[in-house]
Amino acid sequence: MKISFLIHNAYGIGGTIATTFNLAAALAERHDVEIVSVLRHREHPNLTAHPGVRLRALVDLRREKDHPLHGRPARVFPAAEYRHHQYSELTDERIAACLADIDADVVVGTRPGLNVHLALQAPEHVARVGQEHLTLDHHPPALRTALRRAYRGLDVLTTVTEADAASYRRKTRLPGVRVEALPNSVPTPVLPAADGTGKVVVAAGRLVPVKRYDLIIEAFARVAAEFPDWQLRIYGRGEERGRLRALIETLGLWNNVFLMGAVTPMEAEWVKGSIGAAASDYEPFGMTLVEAMRCGLPVVSTDCPYGPGEIIRDGEDGRLVPVGDTAAFGTALLGLVRDDERRRRMGRAALTNAERFAPGPVVAQAERLLQEAIDARNGARRGTTERTGAHHTLVSRGHATRDLAHVAASRALRTLRKARR
Amino acid sequence: MSTAARTHCSVDADGRITFRLRPPTAAPARLLLVLRPKKGRPEESTHTLDLEPHGDDGEFRAVLEPLPRLAEGRWDAYLLSGPDDARERLLPGLRDLRTLVDGGTRERPSPVAVRAPYATLDGFLAIRTWLRPALAEAGPVGVDGATMTVRVRLHGTEPGAGAEAVLRLRGDKDTVRSYPARTAEDGGLSFTVACADLTTAVGRVWNVFVRPAAGARQVRVARLLDDLADRKGVFVLPRVTVDGRVVRPYYTIDNDLAVEVTAAD
Repeated sequence: MKISFLIHNAYGIGGTIATTFNLAAALAERHDVEIVSVLRHREHPNLTAHPGVRLRALVDLRREKDHPLHGRPARVFPAAEYRHHQYSELTDERIAACLADIDADVVVGTRPGLNVHLALQAPEHVARVGQEHLTLDHHPPALRTALRRAYRGLDVLTTVTEADAASYRRKTRLPGVRVEALPNSVPTPVLPAADGTGKVVVAAGRLVPVKRYDLIIEAFARVAAEFPDWQLRIYGRGEERGRLRALIETLGLWNNVFLMGAVTPMEAEWVKGSIGAAASDYEPFGMTLVEAMRCGLPVVSTDCPYGPGEIIRDGEDGRLVPVGDTAAFGTALLGLVRDDERRRRMGRAALTNAERFAPGPVVAQAERLLQEAIDARNGARRGTTERTGAHHTLVSRGHATRDLAHVAASRALRTLRKARR
Repeated sequence: MSTAARTHCSVDADGRITFRLRPPTAAPARLLLVLRPKKGRPEESTHTLDLEPHGDDGEFRAVLEPLPRLAEGRWDAYLLSGPDDARERLLPGLRDLRTLVDGGTRERPSPVAVRAPYATLDGFLAIRTWLRPALAEAGPVGVDGATMTVRVRLHGTEPGAGAEAVLRLRGDKDTVRSYPARTAEDGGLSFTVACADLTTAVGRVWNVFVRPAAGARQVRVARLLDDLADRKGVFVLPRVTVDGRVVRPYYTIDNDLAVEVTAAD
């Protein structure tokens, strides 16, 4: 297969980039793979691409930031998409041209706006696979409305959790589109796994409010009080840094809790610890949970929608605690800090259980889905259509109507507000 | 200057560093460590390691044994290859430093030699080294509204009667403040500094030492015995406002403990 991935910015940092690089690298063992980055802002990506994977960019911001077309808002890329402000008539034009000329059997979009481009603009003979790394339920109604319409042009839509795939099946009507959960994969670590002796709790991710590092720090205060030789290390950068620093000071935890800055890759940092921690209010997948488990760490996580509950088995390879519950989080951490044997046992279980997220099984599934997309596309060109049940049509139409009503209402409100000014 | 492949390294409890890399060509090559000279000075100290093939997948290894001890500073890592020994800076790969994390719990004889591989700001592999006759390793630092209490563990020297902490004003060897040091249960020392004593020196920095026993040589208080080559931005201590001055204990870029005094704004 000739496979092209279309990604927002391969030169940045984050879960989608990491998982796309991983998947592309694994597929490159048997297929012809390229990553097309819409934007580029630096010479080298943070992650090293597999030597067999070609990487090219469509808009180089270092040279084209001031391009006149880049000043005009995008029209193809949906206005309700989170990153619309980074897109423009220039990206519209370049993505369209890239897709028109693309020499691939299948193109994989990696975010809603790019999936829309793919669904609308990929040549008739090219199979279109949309990947959703966020979740339908958390998209704003206007975006859901745009996606409901556009995603009909896809052949396959993958979500990162079963829960989100179920949402799409229930709340959208995408005839002929195969919707399936394809978890993110994490490469098999190079370093020996953690042995459960490190007196460090490790957390990693962007320092943003939804990740609730404040909750982890508050919960860790109980650990530090009982076990002053334990540390909490938080890796990542972001807007919350100052607030978290102030919280550490207020709680008197500067000898135990450290903001480590961003480190990529995290592998050598995970193995210094013996417990992973994640306290998000919302987590579409939870890449860092899998990374920690693959390094032999049991993870204490909130049981937030959607990922953690599909990654951790509570009490076996980690702990799941209610969202926003600092006391429960602290108790779960202490339970693992106090009991060396339990911590090690759960660490070993994490190592074994997380093997299902190894590139092997995930790539095999991705390969099958890509092939199915190609087959479906060939079938579709021969005029095959799929029927959907009347009941499903009614249910999904209900959700669509609600979103449309919401969009119409907020438009009306905006108009009213403007009129009053 | 071109750059060679990413180099993984791991450190064992004795400070032995194993480098692993796949050189671009399989020709015999060596790994060169160069002590970064002071600005405008020539390179003087270098250390060369043989790269030996390991396994049959093109990996090469070099081992930096605990001895000889390296001089204190920053050692940049290069690959030497080809007939003319062309030099390429090495890129950092995974640095497995887990054995260093609790390094402060182990006794160190004199001289105290410490090594931590790290990635430089411009993205290359280097080794941070310290070599000191003795070390007062800082443990927890307590800070309240008016005082700073530091627990240290001595390595390469023994505590005795008359132990004290000495704060010396940087760039002024005659201005010092002394505080008695107590022996702690774990055999270390502990001392409390009254921040108000330091506020006369606005815009200045005090370096922190301990004298382990009466008449003994002063030993710098630092935090060296873990995996962090640079803790300045990570181990951040609270500031104390006293007499309209801000007194801020911090770790320097060399991981030494110091106290900065500035005007409150």
